Amino acid sequence: MGLVFSRLFSSLFGNKEARILVLGLDNAGKTTILYRLQMGEVVSTIPTIGFNVETVQYNNIKFQVWDLGGQTSIRPYWRCYFPNTQAIIYVVDSSDTDRLVVAKEEFHAILEEEELKGAVVLIYANKQDLPGALDDAAVTEALELHKIKSRQWAIFKTSAIKGEGLFEGLDWLSNTLKSGGG
Amino acid sequence: MSGHDSKYFSTTKKGEIPELKEELNSQYKDKRKDAVKKVIAAMTVGKDVSSLFTDVVNCMQTENLELKKLVYLYLINYAKSQPDLAILAVNTFVKDSQDPNPLIRALAVRTMGCIRVDKITEYLCDPLQRCLKDDDPYVRKTAAICVAKLYDINAELVEDRGFLDALKDLISDNNPMVVANAVAALAEIQESSSRPIFEITSHTLSKLLTALNECTEWGQVFILDALSKYKAADAREAENIVERVTPRLQHANCAVVLSAVKMILQQMELITSTDVVRNLCKKMAPPLVTLLSAEPEIQYVALRNINLIVQKRPTILAHEIKVFFCKYNDPIYVKMEKLEIMIKLASDRNIDQVLLEFKEYATEVDVDFVRKAVRAIGRCAIKLERAAERCISVLLELIKIKVNYVVQEAIIVIKDIFRRYPNTYESIIATLCESLDTLDEPEAKASMIWIIGEYAERIDNADELLESFLESFPEEPPQVQLQLLTATVKLFLKKPTEGPQQMIQVVLNNATVETDNPDLRDRAYIYWRLLSTDPEAAKDVVLAEKPVISDDSNQLDPSLLDELLSNIATLSSVYHKPPEAFVTRVKTTQKTEEEDYPEAGEQSYSDSPARVADSGASPPASSANPQHPASRQPAAPAALPDLLDLGMDNSSSAIVSVDQPASPAGPPLPVVLPASSGQGLQISAQLIRRDGQVFYSMMFENNSQVPLDGFMIQFNKNTFGLAAGGQLQVPQLLPGTSASTLLPMVLFQNISPGPANTLLQVAIKNNQQPVWYFNDKIYFHVLFTEDGRMERSTFLETWKSLPDSNEVSRDFPASVINSVETTLDRLAASNMFFIAKRKHANQEVLYLSAKIPRGIPFLIELTAVIGTPGVKCAIKTPSPEMAPLFFEAVETLLKS
Repeated sequence: MGLVFSRLFSSLFGNKEARILVLGLDNAGKTTILYRLQMGEVVSTIPTIGFNVETVQYNNIKFQVWDLGGQTSIRPYWRCYFPNTQAIIYVVDSSDTDRLVVAKEEFHAILEEEELKGAVVLIYANKQDLPGALDDAAVTEALELHKIKSRQWAIFKTSAIKGEGLFEGLDWLSNTLKSGGG
Repeated sequence: MSGHDSKYFSTTKKGEIPELKEELNSQYKDKRKDAVKKVIAAMTVGKDVSSLFTDVVNCMQTENLELKKLVYLYLINYAKSQPDLAILAVNTFVKDSQDPNPLIRALAVRTMGCIRVDKITEYLCDPLQRCLKDDDPYVRKTAAICVAKLYDINAELVEDRGFLDALKDLISDNNPMVVANAVAALAEIQESSSRPIFEITSHTLSKLLTALNECTEWGQVFILDALSKYKAADAREAENIVERVTPRLQHANCAVVLSAVKMILQQMELITSTDVVRNLCKKMAPPLVTLLSAEPEIQYVALRNINLIVQKRPTILAHEIKVFFCKYNDPIYVKMEKLEIMIKLASDRNIDQVLLEFKEYATEVDVDFVRKAVRAIGRCAIKLERAAERCISVLLELIKIKVNYVVQEAIIVIKDIFRRYPNTYESIIATLCESLDTLDEPEAKASMIWIIGEYAERIDNADELLESFLESFPEEPPQVQLQLLTATVKLFLKKPTEGPQQMIQVVLNNATVETDNPDLRDRAYIYWRLLSTDPEAAKDVVLAEKPVISDDSNQLDPSLLDELLSNIATLSSVYHKPPEAFVTRVKTTQKTEEEDYPEAGEQSYSDSPARVADSGASPPASSANPQHPASRQPAAPAALPDLLDLGMDNSSSAIVSVDQPASPAGPPLPVVLPASSGQGLQISAQLIRRDGQVFYSMMFENNSQVPLDGFMIQFNKNTFGLAAGGQLQVPQLLPGTSASTLLPMVLFQNISPGPANTLLQVAIKNNQQPVWYFNDKIYFHVLFTEDGRMERSTFLETWKSLPDSNEVSRDFPASVINSVETTLDRLAASNMFFIAKRKHANQEVLYLSAKIPRGIPFLIELTAVIGTPGVKCAIKTPSPEMAPLFFEAVETLLKS
């Protein structure tokens, strides 16, 4: 009986696209991650003034992934994209220790948003390939993730350039969404 | 209010906008596309759907070209109302400008050019730069036009990013369409700039002539228009150009034909060989004639242009007068224009034919046309002496028909004929007098009365005739009254008998006492006084011989004619008015203070204001609304060219100085104390040199809430001991006003010790605010004195006398000398004087001198390859410690 149900569920989900926002400070690697997920290759990027949107099919779920520019000037417009969002991928440049405070503040500001109340949060501690990059524990500490209440979250060490950790995170995300966490 | 009523406030209906919003965010592509279509539909009928901006923009990244186009359309419409959110679209534009599909690349760059939002404009540059060098010609040609659009938004940006040079490069493109669009863009840019931007050289000339044969018809028009501004070096070159262009005369598009005619006419000015000119005239006739078989609207445009052409070169159509004969079904505006041209083409050879035509027209039904035909006969009589008699006999025949308005019109023209040929045709006066009582129009009456007065001695019953008019004197219009007065005086002077004497009493009385018309009264008094003091003198004055008239009606002044001819195929040539009479445009004038372009004015106006030879133009009724909409700001008066850059940046400083002509003209002064740190007081200032003296040019703007007064200024010790040479003259500044002042400066007052630097520390106080301190920069070159010029020999001696340790040099890798003359002029304006130059391999070496106060000379050697960045500057001076400041100044001057 349970099997039948989960099949039904997954087929329902298979039709529906999950709307995911990729957020983070500028130069965190959001666009690189998006295209790594979508095409499986590293593309050269320029700062995103605006947004990119691509559909990523993974684990039988279609993700409609919105990569929003991280420049200070564009951050105010993130909120335009909040409604109907199931998940947020928050990308942190683990080697940019100076701006982790800013990253933390932006992150917690997002969590406060009423429209994102039900969204699950996946954090990518990106740029692990760079020397001096903090590991996931240190990033967890710096972002004060322990403060997150009543929300499912996970953090993964990633390197978009090398393609490490991204799909592990997506696995977690798809499982969480399938189990109705979103 | 009972609890139930709350239901009225909560409705289940969401309204159109929220519904659309939901659909735009649908996960299904088709639904989103439909939603965008609905939004566009709402937009086109005028509903405000700007609140859906982000939702629409989010649909922009799609493979569906149709959807993309719709979103672009939406963006063009609403980006201005949502300038902040428009930035969200930038990334998509950038992406699309690199799309593999050239259509999308072109679409992206075109749309970005249409979005006039400053924040977006900066991001447009990179994609535009790429697209200008795109592999696909369609993208390149779109990008070329985009540069012109960008220039309109931000001229400085275009120049800084080198887009103008990129455009010029496109003229050498191998695709003719790209060439045509580059030409169109450059011409457009030239129109809004007073600097020469687009100049055809012999190299581009051949490129253009080649492209001309291959590009589309409208591209040909642009190229021909550009070519018509090219000044050929000599007659031979002009002949060659014309030869390459003549095949265009056979083109089916009338705009191409007219532009080709314009171009040929311009180049013909240079051609001296009469054979060639005659040949060209022969070649131009058939295409012009062909234009007259098009729709009436095009005929009208063609006729207006032909009107100008025949004034300049009557030979072109001398044998073609028949095509200008009016057809019965021509619209009236075409008929009227044809008549004009028939008059211009009438000659002794064809006059009989022409007169037959005119006579025919004079019996048609349209009153205006008939009148014009009668007048045309008169004008031919005046123009062609040998045909005058035939013309008059036709007029007399027409008078015999006794159609009232024909008779009146005939009398009017006969009066002119009498003026042209005095004492020749008076025999017909008797015939004229027969129709005396049918005259009811003032002009006809006045003409008849003039004839009677003029020939009073030959008309037996002149006094009777005049008397019949006199009865109604008080009721006549002024025109008739004036003629009656003069005619009566003439009659009296010619026949000083009793009858006329009585008449003159009555008239003078009427004209002085009974009238309110000052013209009439004054003339009457003059006659009266003349007659009462010296009747002989009165005779000399009133009956003096009149100068012979000629037919100059509808004849244009030669300089105006030339200007209009250079604007053939534009609205200007249809209106017969110079473009500036009906189009105003802002010119971006930069850096005009030192650079003088004598030709700038005429060049910039010689361009086509609007193209009308297209079939869409409807002739006389067409509104005078030129191509450029009212949104263009009116041009500032020509006398203040330096202030025109207010079209570019809206800094209020430039606007204020319009009101204060005494204030220093020139580019806006740099802000030294922004309003934000001066409690609303903003100060802009700069050291300048004028008439051999250093001034501190300042401008104060009071953006605070209180009036400010009692301004004082003090300068801290500085390297050159610059200090105020007088009181700071600033009046009380009311809130929202500003004032400019020139503070004379003196040197060597409080010299600060230590190494030389350019720091100028200034303190300003007023009665209302705390003391403001700010730092300014001393531009070293304002210290260069006017007596810095050196003789060659002195230069050499000084150079030799100074030890080598006093020689310092520096490279300016970013500076570039494009033209030696321009650079020298610019340097001379700042008192750096040219001494000699020599060539060293491919380098130009320039020697100059300058002097700063206390007679410290600078001997300068500039080495550069013309047009290539990198200038080396070597100097020798007794004060090498000043060298860094000097280099800085030279670098600034080379850049400006």
